[in-house]
Amino acid sequence: MSDSAAVLIARQYDDAQQQRSAADLGIWVFLATEVLFFGVLFAVYTMTRFNHPEAFASASRLTNITLGSINTAVLLTSSLTMALGVRAAKLGLSRPLVGWLCTTIALGIVFLAIKATEYYLDYGEHLVPGLNFAYAGADRHAVELFFYLYFLTTGLIRCIWSSVSASSRRLPRWHRAAHIVPRTSRRSR
Amino acid sequence: MIAHPVSTAKTYIFVWLSLLGLLLLTLGSAFLSLGAFNAVINVGVAFAKAILVMIFFMHLRSGHYILRIVAIAGFFWLAILIGLTFTDFATR
Repeated sequence: MSDSAAVLIARQYDDAQQQRSAADLGIWVFLATEVLFFGVLFAVYTMTRFNHPEAFASASRLTNITLGSINTAVLLTSSLTMALGVRAAKLGLSRPLVGWLCTTIALGIVFLAIKATEYYLDYGEHLVPGLNFAYAGADRHAVELFFYLYFLTTGLIRCIWSSVSASSRRLPRWHRAAHIVPRTSRRSR
Repeated sequence: MIAHPVSTAKTYIFVWLSLLGLLLLTLGSAFLSLGAFNAVINVGVAFAKAILVMIFFMHLRSGHYILRIVAIAGFFWLAILIGLTFTDFATR
């Protein structure tokens, strides 16, 4: 891919670097709001666990350790492949970027598959709240399921979009690290 | 605003291995029953993993300092949320 053309700079920015920094800051402010959004869930977990420790202890004993650990490892690996994809984007490598994004998507689908198996096994043991729940305990599974799927599908859709547009030659320039872009990127007004 | 350097793939793989090591720690704490200390280990490991991912995979280390301030601010407000709610429950 060619390095000749300049990065697209929006009107309000002086140069590509400022635009990139503004985008980074915006994403991090959004992440801080997301922390608080899911922080409510964390707070509910903490308070319920504080008030009913023995219920949480006995309920957590019913979770599947093998599947859960494998799922965590899958998630961590998908973070690695995503970080390597971002690195490829910064270096301007279009094809490895698509490769890493597809790997991340595949790992996301693997996570969802293992999660589906877990929930199927839970259903067999009568642990699904609202359906055939036969155990008196905390009923956070439904909320958990909702947030898991929300998180995963949002991430998956983002990865799919990035992969599609990265393979169309235009995006790598947008995401390329500012210090690689030549100084002639100033747009005449 | 400084330009951010690109980390090597080796750094990322090293962080990934550390994250897997922390996962094994939590696995171990699931099999050993240490009473309340189990929760301490699990929350501590979760916190360490989050810090590792944020600093390396999300480029807090190489970004502008204001990103770190925003990240810390997010967790500061989370601490207020959980902490002040906890004062109610803990004093009943």
